[in-house]
Amino acid sequence: MAHMLTRRSVLAGAAAGAFVPLLGIPGARASTPGILTFGISSFPPSVQPWANAGTASATVKLALYRGLASYGPDGKIRGELAEGWSSEGKNTWVFKLRDAKFQNGEKVTSADVKWTIEQVAGEKSTAFLRTEMQGVEKIETPDDLTVRITTKQPTVTLPLMMASYHMPIMSKASTAAQQIGAGPFVLKDAERGVSMDLAPNPHYYRPGLPKLKAIRVVVYADENLRVAALQSGDVDLIEYVPWQAMASIEKDAALKLDAVDGPFMAIVFNGSRPPFNDARVRKAVAHAIRREDIVKSAFFGRGAPLAHLPIPQASPYFNADLADGWKYDPELSKKLLAEAGHGGGLSCKLLSTAQYGMHKDTAEVVQQHLAAVGINAELNLPDWATRVSLGNRGQYDFGIMGTSADSNDPDGLSGYVDGSLSPSYVRSYNLSIPKLTQLFQAGREEFDETKRKAIYHEMEQVAIDQVPMVGLALRSQGYAMRKEVGGFKNMPGALSFYSGQTFETATVG
Amino acid sequence: MLAFTLRRTAIALVLVWLVATLVFMVIHLIPGDPAELLLSQGGVAPDPAAVAELRERLGLDLPLYTQYLNYWAGLFRGDFGVSLQDEHPVASEIALRLPRTLELIGAAAVIALSVGLPFGTMAALKPGGRLDRIASLIAGISLSVPVFVVGTLAILVFAQKLGWVSAGGYVALAQDPVRHFILLLMPASTIAVGLGAVVFRVTRSAVLEVLGRDHVRAAQARGVRPRLIILRHVLRNALSPVLTVVALHLGSLLGGTVLVEYVFNWPGLSGYLVRSVEARDYPEVLGIVLSISVLFVFLNLLVDLAYAALDPRVRHA
Repeated sequence: MAHMLTRRSVLAGAAAGAFVPLLGIPGARASTPGILTFGISSFPPSVQPWANAGTASATVKLALYRGLASYGPDGKIRGELAEGWSSEGKNTWVFKLRDAKFQNGEKVTSADVKWTIEQVAGEKSTAFLRTEMQGVEKIETPDDLTVRITTKQPTVTLPLMMASYHMPIMSKASTAAQQIGAGPFVLKDAERGVSMDLAPNPHYYRPGLPKLKAIRVVVYADENLRVAALQSGDVDLIEYVPWQAMASIEKDAALKLDAVDGPFMAIVFNGSRPPFNDARVRKAVAHAIRREDIVKSAFFGRGAPLAHLPIPQASPYFNADLADGWKYDPELSKKLLAEAGHGGGLSCKLLSTAQYGMHKDTAEVVQQHLAAVGINAELNLPDWATRVSLGNRGQYDFGIMGTSADSNDPDGLSGYVDGSLSPSYVRSYNLSIPKLTQLFQAGREEFDETKRKAIYHEMEQVAIDQVPMVGLALRSQGYAMRKEVGGFKNMPGALSFYSGQTFETATVG
Repeated sequence: MLAFTLRRTAIALVLVWLVATLVFMVIHLIPGDPAELLLSQGGVAPDPAAVAELRERLGLDLPLYTQYLNYWAGLFRGDFGVSLQDEHPVASEIALRLPRTLELIGAAAVIALSVGLPFGTMAALKPGGRLDRIASLIAGISLSVPVFVVGTLAILVFAQKLGWVSAGGYVALAQDPVRHFILLLMPASTIAVGLGAVVFRVTRSAVLEVLGRDHVRAAQARGVRPRLIILRHVLRNALSPVLTVVALHLGSLLGGTVLVEYVFNWPGLSGYLVRSVEARDYPEVLGIVLSISVLFVFLNLLVDLAYAALDPRVRHA
């Protein structure tokens, strides 16, 4: 018996040894020059041009389509399919198109722009900017390269809307199955849920671009696997770098990290019922939270406290005097609560989600700090779909929210700050502050930069006092890549999710 | 036998209908609206009119019983419906992903059996011996470490530190057979760690039990060679409990490889199911659960019929 065992173990060892050369075939590969493999966090549910389908879709859309305007790597708005634009009076914008071609080789004309806006504003539209484009009164096309857009209300932000990744100009020959845009790449192949293959668009209007021979987009839903895939060389670039991995990526000589403080975490309120229909209670919440703890525990120190509205410091609309508007002051919180008749304490429910660590961790820190001033918040942590549904229907007291502004322009905040808009989980429910709504509207109609700044200063002051939402923290949004990758850039502030724009200048090896 | 077969088939069909109906009710009862979710991804507020339009386009505005009847009408036509997210046919996605999960489970079973069976037998032959003690210890640890820990460790060691294999992923067999099997090896081995420990334990106790039986003692007394005794008299009798247990485990793996598929980026059916639930993609969830339950129910039906064919007493019980 002993003999048999020995012989078998020798055989087993030999068999195991036979596997080693098989394993030795390198999974880790050197980057292929010219081909970028991009590890994305989720498979784009669709690349329909105008509907919102999340940030993964937006990133791919930015490789496939182009709008009239776009954001440059510095975050400044610039001409894209339009060379430039000017306003004629308060309600009219004139866009001058450049000589550009669609992916099918046909010219981009004013008729395509008109068709695009009509589709977005159409009755059967599910477009993100549907309401905004329904604000267009008429579209004139005096010649092939001129578009004159007249809006019902003065709209100073129309060029910003035209730079949105939800507003690409599409050829009027497009169909639901065959989308024809004017971006630097074309979608060649896709395996649903797994990968997408993009090839350069030979008709792209910028000379010499794109520089890449191909982009292979591969889904890595697990954040740790995404990092592992980058470190082992399976992919060249990843998005949504988990905060806990940022330090090790910075230390790795073969990799580089490009992170910006962009998206923000906030508290939203249900303004339709007590206790948060009272501004004093909301303000008490705003002053009760030590935000450094959120940055530390939810984001591993990768981010910054946010004690005012999420207007980035680099923005010309940043108000230094209000930057500490909701500073940590538990005594003030207690005083405000007592004034509001909650001196004996207050019980309520805090809605967040267990599906995303940052939402859950933020909720836990908030809960602790509120307990210290006498607000006893019970956590409700359903899955994300339920959390969205409860938020949209106002079935909560107050909740944790995380998102990014639409743009670095302060008007990009209106959707998150103006609680008079349609019910949505991203903003406070039924919390109308008429003065705020008024000021946002004034900002949209004011063409003079200095006057606009004054309007948004007043807007932020009103927000600090009335607390339509509470800023908690800016979180770091990171891309990580191999050293061989060049030309890809994480765009500043709220524009981080526009970074797909720079695929056109990206290089590998 | 015909009556028995018909009765059992009818019960199986009723079971499938029950499962499908229950899942339909549950998925519609839990909060979350697919149209709203789809348009509000990335933390933005969709236009309510756009949501209403999408809901109408997807048929979600119809009364629940109409949706239910439509669903069954579709099933009778052999139509599982299309995804609410991108109108991709559910049936073709299941046809693509089910074989991948089956392959993963199959490979894990092969690895688990080829390790667990010989070591279980050897351990039983010398209970309390060095091999038994070491193997039992390893089996104990393997059973208690969660599968995602094993998977994450495997990636850390073999992909990140040693650089032998990719950190997960999938390549179709037709595209590159060698890479296909290399990528299969890590997730399959990860599942096999726990499964192998189960096989080891069941084999060990089954062999121990059979070793004490009279016919084995009689064979020993007759002077049959020890090796023949083990192969012919012991293993053959010990195998049936092992196979029963393995079959049970494989069944539960059909919907339970989620974590492994997630950790290794294996595009199988389990991960697809989780993402469908998260997106409240009703047709996808129903299609997947229905496929898995049909597989379950009809495998059981086959086993029942096989028993009945082998043993007449079952038919009349």
